[in-house]
Amino acid sequence: MKNLDSVFAAYIIGWGVFFLFYLTIAKRTSDLRTEIERLRALLPRGK
Amino acid sequence: MSLLSNTATLLGKELRTEFRSRELLTTTVVFILVVLILFSFAISPTAEESREFGPGLLWLAILFAASLMLQPCFLREQSNDTLSSLRLAVDDPFAIFLAKLVANTLFLLLTEILMLPLFAVFYNIPILPQLRYLLLVLLLGSLGISIAGTALSAISAQARMRELLLPLLLLPLLTPILVVSATVSVSLLEREPVVLWKGIGFLAIFDLVFLTALWLFGEYLLEE
Amino acid sequence: MAKRIILGAVAVLLVIASAYASFYIAPEERTMGVIQRIFYFHVGSAWAGMDAFLVCFIANLLYVWRRQEKYDWLGVSSAEVGLVLTTVVLITGPIWAHPVWGIWWTWDARLTSTFVLWLLYVSYLLLRTLVEEQDRRALLSSLFGIFAFLDVPLVFGAIRWWRTQHPSPVIMGGQGSGLDPTMKKVFFFTVLAMNVFAGFLIVERYILEKLKHEVDILQREAEAQ
Repeated sequence: MKNLDSVFAAYIIGWGVFFLFYLTIAKRTSDLRTEIERLRALLPRGK
Repeated sequence: MSLLSNTATLLGKELRTEFRSRELLTTTVVFILVVLILFSFAISPTAEESREFGPGLLWLAILFAASLMLQPCFLREQSNDTLSSLRLAVDDPFAIFLAKLVANTLFLLLTEILMLPLFAVFYNIPILPQLRYLLLVLLLGSLGISIAGTALSAISAQARMRELLLPLLLLPLLTPILVVSATVSVSLLEREPVVLWKGIGFLAIFDLVFLTALWLFGEYLLEE
Repeated sequence: MAKRIILGAVAVLLVIASAYASFYIAPEERTMGVIQRIFYFHVGSAWAGMDAFLVCFIANLLYVWRRQEKYDWLGVSSAEVGLVLTTVVLITGPIWAHPVWGIWWTWDARLTSTFVLWLLYVSYLLLRTLVEEQDRRALLSSLFGIFAFLDVPLVFGAIRWWRTQHPSPVIMGGQGSGLDPTMKKVFFFTVLAMNVFAGFLIVERYILEKLKHEVDILQREAEAQ
């Protein structure tokens, strides 16, 4: 099993990249949702 | 037929504009020359290496030069907004593209032909025996570069950092042209030359695909 | 919302299953040994990436035709996901190559073509950052996206032909080098899993884009007061 660590490295790095990508999306999404709530709260006053 | 006559008229304008100052041609020739010389300094090729790498380097230099030469293509229509006038003047916006790409192909070809003797001397490669095939490759390759370059130049003219953007968009797109033209050229200039017809056919296909794409989508590139 | 969670769960399950299959179900390859198991993940990501770019192409066409912003959102989402998948292909390639060949990179046909593909879509995303006005950005990037996708078969074809003229070490043992039937099944299952996972990522990214748009609208309404 001499190259097993390379195989693991590949899977871990690969899935790490996907996970990071998903995390950035999830974080930005939740930030935006809070921003939307904040803006919605501001608006009805004027209407 | 109005497409052809419109194109011819616009082509005349493009050619006259350039030949009045010849600035594009001269700067492009000098640029390719400088790149070729710099390559020699960087690589210090032996005679054999020159023969092997020379044609590829020539095409690389042509690509770099073209990505600079194509910058003004649509940029110069922005001062005084001549683009709007052009659009009004023709029925089919494709005429504008056709005229520009034919002009660009001609400019590129002219530059390359002027460069060929110098290239042959600096890299010690006899080009006369295979000249007609070499010209064919230059024609098809330059056509491909012009078609893609004219289209992309219309895009980059509408964005920021256009001087950097055009090469950035163009060079990856033109990888097939570089790879195939260089390979065919190398094979033509070997001690026992071989004409790689598959490669030449491939260049023709590339040209056809992008010409069709430009025909289908050109008008959107010129939208206000 | 529930649909998204289900999609995510299915994607994760499929991926875990395919990883299990890659290690425990697929037989060991004769010459390369265990390192070859990277193949399922590596090529699976490559195919999923291409599918993402295909989705981008279709979205680009639809935008130019219909001019509805949802197609632009789909375009940028699928382009980003495709790029991430392609990045993983480019990372796992050298990880595979190094133990087997002792070199990190070789200009083998598929790896080289994948690299050009990567550059094309990086340019696509870069172009988007350089056009400020929304509609113009959508139109210009859609048009470039169309040209880029039309270029893809030409890139792969040209580089493959080039490599037949100047052969170099082939990392993946060639596509048609006869896969054992079990390997084939594991491979196609992995392709399915990666595609579903890519689909899940595209959906999440699309929703982000949609929310960005909503924030923009609300911000403009708030400023108008």
